[in-house]
Amino acid sequence: MGVRIGADTGGTFTDFVLVHPDGVRSWKAPSTPDDFSCAVLEGVSWLLGQTGHVAGTELVHASTVATNALLERRGAKTALVTTRGFKDVLAIGRQARPDLYDLRIVRPDPLVPEPLRLEVEERVSAEGEVLVPLASTEIEAALDRARNSGAESIAVCLLFSFLHPDHERAIGERARARGLACSLSSVIAPEFREYERTSTTVANAFVAPVVERYVRRLSEGASEAGIDRVRIVQSNGGSLDARSAAERAVQTILSGPAAGVLGAREVARRALGAADPIITFDMGGTSTDASLQEGRVLRTTTGTAIGGVPIQIPVVDIHTVGAGGGSIARLDAGGALAVGPESAGADPGPACYGRGEDPTVTDANVVLGRIDPGRFLGGRMTLDPGRAEGALARLAAMMKVPVQEAARSVVRVVNGRMEHAVRVVSVRRGHDPRAFTLVSFGGAGGLHACALAEALGMTRVLVPRDPGVLSAWGAVACDVVRDYSRTVLRRGSGRPGPSDFLAVYDELHRLAEREMMEEGFVQGGVVATRVADLRYVSQSYELSVPFDDDREALAGAFHAAHERRYGHCDPGEPVEIVTLRLRVAGPVERPEPEPVRGTADAAGATLARSGDHRIVDREALRAGARLEGPALLVEPYATTHLAAGWRARVDAWGHLHLER
Amino acid sequence: MSAPAAERSLFAGLLAGICDEMLETLVRTAYSPNIKERRDCSTALFDGRGRLVAQAAAIPVHLGAMPMSVATVLQAVHDLRRGDVIVLNDPFRGGTHLPDITMVSPVFASEPGTPFAFLATRAHHADVGGFSPGSMGLSREIYQEGLRIPPVRLIEEGRPARDVWEIVLANVRTPDERRGDLRAQVAAHETGAARIQEAIRSYGPIALGERTEDLLDYAERLMRAVVRGIPDGDYTFEDQLDGDGFHDAPVPICVRISVTGEEAVVDFTGSAPECEGGINAVEAVTRSAVYYAFLCLLATLREGDSAPPREPPLNAGCFRPIRVVVPAASVVNAGPPCAVAGGNVETSQRIVDVVLGALAGALPEVVSAASQGTMNNLTVGGLDPRTVSPWAFYETIAGGTGAGPSWDGADGVHSHMTNTWNTPIEAVELAYPLRVERYEIRRGTGGLGKWRGGNGIRRDIRVLADARGALLADRRTSRPYGLQGGACGEPGEDRLLREGREIALASKTVLDLRAGDVISVRTPGGGGWGPAGGV
Repeated sequence: MGVRIGADTGGTFTDFVLVHPDGVRSWKAPSTPDDFSCAVLEGVSWLLGQTGHVAGTELVHASTVATNALLERRGAKTALVTTRGFKDVLAIGRQARPDLYDLRIVRPDPLVPEPLRLEVEERVSAEGEVLVPLASTEIEAALDRARNSGAESIAVCLLFSFLHPDHERAIGERARARGLACSLSSVIAPEFREYERTSTTVANAFVAPVVERYVRRLSEGASEAGIDRVRIVQSNGGSLDARSAAERAVQTILSGPAAGVLGAREVARRALGAADPIITFDMGGTSTDASLQEGRVLRTTTGTAIGGVPIQIPVVDIHTVGAGGGSIARLDAGGALAVGPESAGADPGPACYGRGEDPTVTDANVVLGRIDPGRFLGGRMTLDPGRAEGALARLAAMMKVPVQEAARSVVRVVNGRMEHAVRVVSVRRGHDPRAFTLVSFGGAGGLHACALAEALGMTRVLVPRDPGVLSAWGAVACDVVRDYSRTVLRRGSGRPGPSDFLAVYDELHRLAEREMMEEGFVQGGVVATRVADLRYVSQSYELSVPFDDDREALAGAFHAAHERRYGHCDPGEPVEIVTLRLRVAGPVERPEPEPVRGTADAAGATLARSGDHRIVDREALRAGARLEGPALLVEPYATTHLAAGWRARVDAWGHLHLER
Repeated sequence: MSAPAAERSLFAGLLAGICDEMLETLVRTAYSPNIKERRDCSTALFDGRGRLVAQAAAIPVHLGAMPMSVATVLQAVHDLRRGDVIVLNDPFRGGTHLPDITMVSPVFASEPGTPFAFLATRAHHADVGGFSPGSMGLSREIYQEGLRIPPVRLIEEGRPARDVWEIVLANVRTPDERRGDLRAQVAAHETGAARIQEAIRSYGPIALGERTEDLLDYAERLMRAVVRGIPDGDYTFEDQLDGDGFHDAPVPICVRISVTGEEAVVDFTGSAPECEGGINAVEAVTRSAVYYAFLCLLATLREGDSAPPREPPLNAGCFRPIRVVVPAASVVNAGPPCAVAGGNVETSQRIVDVVLGALAGALPEVVSAASQGTMNNLTVGGLDPRTVSPWAFYETIAGGTGAGPSWDGADGVHSHMTNTWNTPIEAVELAYPLRVERYEIRRGTGGLGKWRGGNGIRRDIRVLADARGALLADRRTSRPYGLQGGACGEPGEDRLLREGREIALASKTVLDLRAGDVISVRTPGGGGWGPAGGV
C-alpha cells in the first residue's frame, strides 16, 4: 500500500494522520479560517517533508467547507425553478414555528430569496403521468430570468420528479448548455416530500460552487505537493474523488462528524473485536455528537438538518446536542441551572482563556482540577485558573453554594445533556446502552466519559490513542462509497411489483458501475448492498430493511424491525415499499496502527498528585500498564478523567480501556 | 449529589425526555398523515394526584385541556389497574372537541396501591363519524359532530377491550386508519410506562415525589415573577369572531385581567352566550388559551441577573398564580348539547387575541400584534373511486403572524394555539384523490407598520372525485389587529372554482364538491406594530 494522509478540518485545529509502510505519524496545525485549504496543504507538505515520501500518495480529507457555507450563508447566488404555483414551498417549509411559546418567530431565511424563485408551467401526477408537458419556451424564459438576475447556480425541484425525471433533465441540459451550474432534485434526492427534496437540492446548488472552488484549490495544491489523488469524506461515511464530491457537494455536509465515527469504528474493530457494539461520544467546544454502531455495516439514516435546513440524504446516524466545553452555565429566574446551548466558542472562549466572563464547562473542569492549566493544547495555550474560579464564584453566589459545588453542578448538568444524546441514539432506537462500549474522543470527551457511562449503566469505555486526531484516522480508513435511491411509491393501479423493483435496481446498478469505474474500481471490486424502505400501507415513516425479492421474506424482516424499534408489529397488515436504496462500496486497505511507544508503568508515568488524583503522562505508559482511579491521564490534546471506582489498562496500540 | 439548581434542571430534562419519547413513538407508528406528517398530537405526564408534571411541547391547545382529562378519569373510573388504558373524547367530560381522542393510563409504583403517576396522549383523528367527513363540519349540536366517547377502558389490564374497539370503529368513516392511530397511542403509553418504571427504580418513589413537588414550585416561582412584572391594575380588551356559521352577527369575546402583586384573575364575563353553530369552547379550551398567553410572557422574563428558563416548564405549578373566570353557558364555557368542533381551533385563537390584547395595555413593549387568528380548517372526504373505499382528509392552513416591538411578523406559519405541520403535497396526492394546484404566500396581506405583519397563504386544492367538504375559518370579516399604531392584517377569503366561475364561500360552510372543483383558501395576514414611516 502507498502513503495515505488523512486531514480533518476543525474550527481551531486541522488534524493529520500520515500512514506509510513504516509507520504512522500524526500532527495538529492551527486552522486557517480564511481558506481552510492553506492549513491542509501546509500540513501535508510538512508531513511529507518529515517522512520523505512523495509519490503514490493519496489525501483523504474531512472538510467543513460545505457546512460553514451553509451555516454562515456564504454560498453561491442561487436560483430555484419549481412547478408553477409552488415557488414558495421553500419559504413556507412545514409551516411550523421552532419555539411554541415565543411571540417572536425566528425562522432562517430561505437560501433562495423570492425574486430568484422561478416557476415553469408543467405538472406530473402522483401516478407519474405527465398532466402538463414542459415547453422549451418555459425553460428558456426561466433560465433567462435566472441569468439576468446574476444567479451563479440553479436548483430545480418539480413535483413528482422522482417518478418522472424528464422535465428536470430537460432544464438541466439547457442550463448546462448555457454554462450554468445546475442541481436536479431527481438526482440529488429522488424521494417524496417536496419541501425536504427542494431544501436538499437548493442546499446543494448553494454550496456546490464554493465546494468546487475549494476542492480545485486543494487538488491543485496537493498535486504540486506530489499527491496523486484527493478524496473527500462524505456524510454517508464513504469518500469520493474530489471532482465527484464537488458535484454532490451537499453530501459533504457531515464530513467531519462522519470521519469521527469511522475512526471510532476502526479503532474499536481492532481494540475490542469486530463484533463489539459501540456508542461513540465526540465532545467538542460547542457541540457533542453521539452515534450507535454495531456490526459490519455502518449505521446511516436518511436525513438531517443543518442550521434549520433539512438535508434528505443518507448520513451516518449521529445525534448532536448543543453542549460542549465552551457551553455557558447560567441560573434562570426560577432557580434552575442550565448549561448551553449558548457557547463562548473560541472567541471570547471560556473565562480561563483570558477574555470571556461567563462560566463554562471548561472553567468548571479547571476549578475541579481536571484540566491542568499549564498543559492545555499541548502547552500552546496557558489557562488562567483565577479567571475560571472568578466566573464560577459569581455563579456559586447566585446558587448560594460553595464554588466547588457550583463547578460539580455545571459538570453534572452538562453530563445530563450528553446522557440524553446517547439515549436518543440507543434507548429510543430499541437498544440497551449497557451492552455497548462507550468510545470517547474529541478534546473534552475523556473528561466526562466515566460519569456519562455511569449514568447510562455502562461499564466499559474506550479512549483511543491520540483521541484529538481520531477523525483524521477515520478519513484514512474511509472506503469509497456511493448511495443511490429511488422512491417507487405511486398511486392507484400504477403500484409497482417485483419486476419493477428489479428493473429499478438494474438501472441503479448500471449507474453505480459507471460511476465507480470513475473512482477507479472495476466491476467485481465493489460490494453492493440493497436496502428497501418499507412501511405499513398509509403509515408515513419508513423503516429500512435489507432488500429481498421474495416479498414474504421482505415483509417478515419489516415486521421484525418494527417490533424491535416500537415494541409491536402487525403481521396481518399490508406492507408497501416506498424507496429502494443501493449502496456501493469500494473497499480501501485498512491502515495498520503502530504499537505503543511508552515504556513506563503507572508509577513511572506519574507526574504529580493533585488532591486525591494522581496525574499521569499517558504517552509514557507502556502496553499492559494498569492503574486505578481517581486519576487524570494527560496528553498534548486531551485529558482523560479516570473516576474513582474505575480501572484503566493500556493495550498494545496505546488505546485506553476503562472498566468498572 | 450536586446543588438543587442542577438536580432541578436534570429532573425537568428527564421528564421532558419521557414525554418526547412517547410523542416520537406516537408519531412514528401512527397511520394517518394528520398525526404522522402534521403531528397534531401531544403527550403528557401527571402525578398520582392528577397534577400536570411535564408535557411534550407540541400543541398549545392541548396544554390546559389534558389536566381535565386526567381529572375526569380520576373521578369517573374506579379500580384502575396496571395495564389499563382509558379512552375519552367527550368535550363535556375531559375532552375538547370530538376528533381529539385522549388516552389516560395509570402507572403503579408498587402493587397493589393507588396510581403513582398518569400518562396521557391526545391525537386529532381525521374522522370520528358525524354528518360530515373529517368531523369538523358545521353542526348545531354535538350529536351531529360524531361519536362521543365517555371515559371507558380501551385496554383492560393489557388486553384490548374488544367491545369498545368494535363500537368505536363501527362509527367512523375510516376504521383501518383509526385502528392504526389508536394502536399508536397505546404504543406511546407502553413506551412512557417503561420509562416511568425506570425512573421509579433509579430514584425511588419517595424521592421522585419530592422532586416533582420541587419542580411544580419552581414553575410557580417563574410564573409569579412574570405576573410581578405586570403593573398592578385592570386591563380589558374585546374582539370578535365573524359569526357562528348560521348567523352573520359577530360573536364578541371580552376579557378583564386584574393584576395584584404576583397573581392575576382573567375574567371573561361579558363574552357572548353559547352559539348555535359549533364555535363554542369548553372551559378546558379557554384555560389552554390563557395559559398559553402567559407562557409567552415567560420567554421575555428578565429579573436582575437571572434569565428566562431555557424551556418553559409546562406543569401545574405554572398555573397556580392565574385564576380563570368563565361565565356559565357562554361561548368560552359551553355545556351539552352544544356543538364545539370549532371552539378548539377557532375560538381558542380569539381568546388568545383578547388576552394578549389586554396584556399589551400593561406591557406595550413586550406584546406583539394579532396573528392570523384562525386555523383555516379544511376537511374533504368521500368515496375514492379507484380503491372504492372511504377517505377523509383534514388539514389546517398557516397564515401571517403579528409584528412585535422589534420584529416583523412571519409569513405562512402557524401561530398561537396550534403548530401542526402541513401535509406534503406529494403525500396528499399519493394518499387521496386530490391535486394541490397552488401553495403560495399572499404578498401584501400583512399589516403595515414600523414592523410589518406576516403574510397569509393561498392554498388551492382540486378534488378529483365527487366529495363533501367543510371549511371552518375566521377573520374573513374582522381583521387581525395592529398595535401601537400599526395597521391591521388583511382578512382571509375563500373561493370555490367551478367550471371557470369563482364562487365566494362563507368562512364556515359545508360543500358538496364535484370532481374537478377547486377549493381556494386564502388566509389572513398578521397585524403591524408601530406607525408606518415613523422613526
